[in-house]
Amino acid sequence: MLALQQILGGVTTGAIYATLALALVLINRATGVVNFAQGQLAVLSTYLAWALVQAGVPALLAVAIAIALAVPLGALNERFIIRRVAKEPPLVVTVVTIGLLILLNGVTGFIWSHEIKPFPSLFPPGALHVAGSAISLESLGIVGVLAVLVIALHLLFFGTRLGLAMRAVADNPESSALSGLNVNLLLMTGWGLAAAVGALAGCLVAPKVYLDPNMMNQILVYSLIAVVVGGLESPLGVVVAAGMIGVVENLAGTYIGFIGNDLQIAVPLLLMCAVLTWRPQGLFGRIESTRV
Amino acid sequence: MNTFSWVRRLAVNLRVQAVLWLIGAVVVAIIPLTATPYTNSQLSLVATFAVAILGLNLVTGFAGQVSLGHSAFLGLGAYSAAIATAAGWPALAALAAACVVPAVIGLLVGLPALRLGGHSLAMVTLALPVIAVPLAKRLSNLTGGSTGISAQPLHAPAWTGLASDQWTFYVVAALAVMMFFLAGNLTRGRLGRALSLIRVNETVAASVGVPVYAYKVLAFVCAALFGGVAGFMYVCTIGFMSPESLNLLVALNLLIAMVVGGMRSLIGSLLGGAFYVFLPEVASLVGATRSGVINIATGASVLLVVFLARGGVSSIVWRIWQRMRTGISVRQP
Repeated sequence: MLALQQILGGVTTGAIYATLALALVLINRATGVVNFAQGQLAVLSTYLAWALVQAGVPALLAVAIAIALAVPLGALNERFIIRRVAKEPPLVVTVVTIGLLILLNGVTGFIWSHEIKPFPSLFPPGALHVAGSAISLESLGIVGVLAVLVIALHLLFFGTRLGLAMRAVADNPESSALSGLNVNLLLMTGWGLAAAVGALAGCLVAPKVYLDPNMMNQILVYSLIAVVVGGLESPLGVVVAAGMIGVVENLAGTYIGFIGNDLQIAVPLLLMCAVLTWRPQGLFGRIESTRV
Repeated sequence: MNTFSWVRRLAVNLRVQAVLWLIGAVVVAIIPLTATPYTNSQLSLVATFAVAILGLNLVTGFAGQVSLGHSAFLGLGAYSAAIATAAGWPALAALAAACVVPAVIGLLVGLPALRLGGHSLAMVTLALPVIAVPLAKRLSNLTGGSTGISAQPLHAPAWTGLASDQWTFYVVAALAVMMFFLAGNLTRGRLGRALSLIRVNETVAASVGVPVYAYKVLAFVCAALFGGVAGFMYVCTIGFMSPESLNLLVALNLLIAMVVGGMRSLIGSLLGGAFYVFLPEVASLVGATRSGVINIATGASVLLVVFLARGGVSSIVWRIWQRMRTGISVRQP
């Protein structure tokens, strides 16, 4: 069953796009910024995990440490770079995140060189055989991790005081400050959390594409497309859109001769243009109105 | 200050400007006759990327719509010029192809991408280089695939007695001057004011009767066209085009060069082109050849510019020029 196989493969890559897209949505909800450096920060964390593995740390522990270290990295980024321009027009903020992207790309290449490196898989080898098609344990693991992540984020935002406070800051920073919330600390927490989610995405994708300073560029593009298609406001919509993109591009790559493996990315791009034309707020987004 | 001294000061200023222009023209005319072919081609590249950055300035600097895929339009122009030349078209026809193809694609991309305000254009244009690279490799019977395509639209006429690098420099410099003149007129007039208003506040722009969507699309198409002309200049200078020049990092570096040079400034676009071309040169001159150094320098420069001199290098130059001219320290408007 080639089709089923392709759908499952698509869901797996979609889950990786969804993880990075969730990091983007987290930041956008907290600060209204699209952080183009998100993927590059994830690459840095993934390299840290790789360095730990080289030093003899078990892979899972190394990834856990790298994800934990991503939190202060993201928080410092917010504190010392983003906060200085947060109130500027979006153009300035975008330029700053792009500058960070290039800077971090350079730093990663400087420390670890641009040679590609293998990254250990976090899941045992082998596959489950269901209805005549093989599902690798890695695919199951990646989708499982995404499911746990979505539930954990939902519980965090809707079941804890911290999540409530973060939502309040995202909705109205001034009122939150007046009611005694530490807005700055909460913003740093949001960026740290997003960096951790991004680091997770990096460690999930690295075994599939090999480690290299540019490895997240393409994933970032897919995740941004998922964010546009799903709606910048809607985490669930983004996850659904990412899964859809993964499946559709895999099927198109397999069954439409001209597209093949190399031009797969054209499919989500066309999908995004269609969504922007007919439903510019995204499939699950809501229309915003502007006050003069 | 009486009227007479005011008039005299104006006359002096005009004369100073005319002298500066003349010096500039003479320098540009003399350089290629004395410099090495390598220097000539580097300077032609500065003019090339200055025109590309100028286009980016129209849509991103003036209209405030972030385009992250400008390398795709440069590449479209370059491939159009190279393919047309390889098919035996004359240089002017190749230039026309390098204008029309990117402009049409720009229109097709801009129409959906500019529907939604904010980040939508950035996200759509970010995907352009990512799809352009495999597409260029795939259409190998046109583009030469991964190995690229060689073509030289320009041939120095025998009566000039010029070497090909010298002739290329003159043609490329003349094209650049034309494009700068065009951009200056576009941005100083009605269109420039409308685009600036769109950047500052779209809602206000719409309420005073600026057709916001149409003007944004127009700015994007102009940017694509300037990118296409830069692509033609690129093929004239290098004589070669390959998918690597379409890379996403090229597009991001162009945006950074624009900010470092100075947004919404003609001089800034020229300085941006120089920054783009000379930063790797300087890095290898001082022996910083380790991988990643250039990206570190690029990223650090743009952060420094945003934090310390928002108007870019051109604003610093402008402030020094005003200081020399009037003796008063001023800030750029």
